[in-house]
Amino acid sequence: MATPVLDQFLGSVAELVQNRDGVKLQDFLQIEPPLSDIYMRMIDELRQHYASGPQKDAELLRRCEGLVPRSKGSSSWTAFPTFLKLYLTFLRDVNVGNLLDTYNFLKGLVNQCVLALGDSQMGIIVLHTVLYLSKVLAKLAMGLDRRPDLIANILRMEGQADREENVEKVTLVEQSANVVREAFIKCLTDRTGTPGPQGKPEGKRVGIYLMANLCLKLLFQCGKLRNAEQMFASISAQSPPLTYFPASQRVTYLYYLGRYLFSNNLFFPAQIALQAAYDQCHRQAVSQRHLILTYLIPCNIILGRFPSQTLLQRSEAQGLGERFGPLCQLIARGNYIAFREHLSVRSPAADWFARKGILLALRNRCEILVWRSFARKVFILGGFHGDPQAQAQRGPPPYLYLEKLVVATEWLRSQHGRSLNGTSVAHKSYGSQVISTPTDPDYDGLTDSTGITTDSELLDKFGDFLAPDGFFDDRGQWQENIPGQLVDGDPDPDYEGYQLDPYSEYDAADQSSLLMQEIESILASLLTQGLMRGYLTHRKPRFAIPGARLRGALPTGFPNVWQTISARESEDSSVPGWVQPPASAAFGAGTAALAGGSRVVNLKGARPVGVQ
Amino acid sequence: MSNSTPAQTKAEPSDQPQQQQKPQVLEEDDEFEDFPVEDWPQEEAEQPAGSTANGGSEHLWEESWDDDDAAEDFSKQLKEELKKVEASH
Repeated sequence: MATPVLDQFLGSVAELVQNRDGVKLQDFLQIEPPLSDIYMRMIDELRQHYASGPQKDAELLRRCEGLVPRSKGSSSWTAFPTFLKLYLTFLRDVNVGNLLDTYNFLKGLVNQCVLALGDSQMGIIVLHTVLYLSKVLAKLAMGLDRRPDLIANILRMEGQADREENVEKVTLVEQSANVVREAFIKCLTDRTGTPGPQGKPEGKRVGIYLMANLCLKLLFQCGKLRNAEQMFASISAQSPPLTYFPASQRVTYLYYLGRYLFSNNLFFPAQIALQAAYDQCHRQAVSQRHLILTYLIPCNIILGRFPSQTLLQRSEAQGLGERFGPLCQLIARGNYIAFREHLSVRSPAADWFARKGILLALRNRCEILVWRSFARKVFILGGFHGDPQAQAQRGPPPYLYLEKLVVATEWLRSQHGRSLNGTSVAHKSYGSQVISTPTDPDYDGLTDSTGITTDSELLDKFGDFLAPDGFFDDRGQWQENIPGQLVDGDPDPDYEGYQLDPYSEYDAADQSSLLMQEIESILASLLTQGLMRGYLTHRKPRFAIPGARLRGALPTGFPNVWQTISARESEDSSVPGWVQPPASAAFGAGTAALAGGSRVVNLKGARPVGVQ
Repeated sequence: MSNSTPAQTKAEPSDQPQQQQKPQVLEEDDEFEDFPVEDWPQEEAEQPAGSTANGGSEHLWEESWDDDDAAEDFSKQLKEELKKVEASH
């Protein structure tokens, strides 16, 4: 025999398949350089006796076909010999100097291995091999993603294809995510044993979260989170409970699930998933714990809970205190302009938040907390706290004149106006009255009004648009236009008095009422969300806090944020995408209470029949 | 100037690899690494008992963070401002 190493290799593979030893089989099917000496000798043999060509490839395939046992009654596992032949030709032909070719070659190999995985009897033998090859593929794709110079060629070609066929560009990372998703589906839909949420991880189902986690990693990498939605839905419907899987898979999965929920603005379930990931993560896995905290902390801040000093002093929280500490201070202080400046695109602090993908969530979700702190401070300093003498029923409830909030907001604006450019900020004639920071730098230099008062000035400036030399009509015919004449004709005299400015009816004296209206809306929003408690009066604008006698005005009118939000959100404590054991099996941990919680009938609002 | 030029050229070779490495480190930082072990008992996830006074149930989250410090600058200035309004009314 001229190919001793190859013969020995194929013999061993046959034996491993016979014994269904998937772990060892994966160990045999090495592809990553540097390969050991024995592989190099086998590659030499392949190149000598099975040089590239259809005839030799067919011979090689025939040798591989002999390895699969032909069991009675079931069709033979043809996908495996094809895969093995592809593996051997990969070793023989691959040129790792060309990473893009290597990638495409490897993708074909993984695809074939996934086909082999699909066999209901034998598929499980290649589960570990699929995972191993997929990981190498993922690493390669992510590496290429960071080297645009190496894939410039296909980027250019795809660019042309885009223009021609108008199809969405699929990056290498996304392509590999799609390959891994196929493997994930094969694992999830394995019918051996008891499938579904009642089942245990048997057969290929042991690979559900291994594949899901790899796929999620790739989807996060290529920014196609939306593609993960179907995966989470399939897991919810078909996976055995997560708790039956090993800790490393649970923690990784809960991390990605938490981040997915976070990016969908589902902060409460995200918090539950990330907290569970943190709690179950090995205490020595500092880098993983650090990443979990990077998302768990902003999640909690949005829900009204700040990281404690104890947490921030842990080794895995290193560096996070300086990121989130100032933000928490700004929220508690209630200076909304300072808060906006801290998270504006110009702020040095915003860069890190943006890179982590949490900037917009923090900016949009925390500002309401800043306004709560602001209203609370103004109430403390300028509100009526109730008459301590008038213990009886007669005294008015504590209240705050909203005029004071208006004054405080104007003062805040003037403070920041001065600090920004040395002059105090003038009233704006329209738009939001609480925004005083410069908007997008792209709009620098634009003023509120164009300064145009006469028609001739208007035509001077915008004539090319309002009165061009000609235009295409609705049938695409070119129509000449008399110079100076509006193409749309003169405006109807009925509309002459109107302008396209919704605030045009206000004059300068109304400016403070504009601000008042905006303050009223903000407080109404706080009340609707339960972040403040009481009512607003509009005629003489006030925020009143009834029923404050027992607990005091502050705790009544400004209830604890976290307690308010968590009480509301806990009504449904299930986390989409996280499969829990069936309720009857869930004694012990808090899961029993959680699972039953939603079934408690709330009788708070029930009243006897006939009572008004 | 004449002194700083050779020093700068000298520093360049060591600067370059650093610059090349920097973005790589950031990327790595963002990647959720594979765990070196497959499974572990829950005890190994928790902070070792005894490292804190009250065992595992440490105080990790502040639910009460309202800022009631009237002596702090922002509050003091705000108070002055609100006083002015009351005086003028």
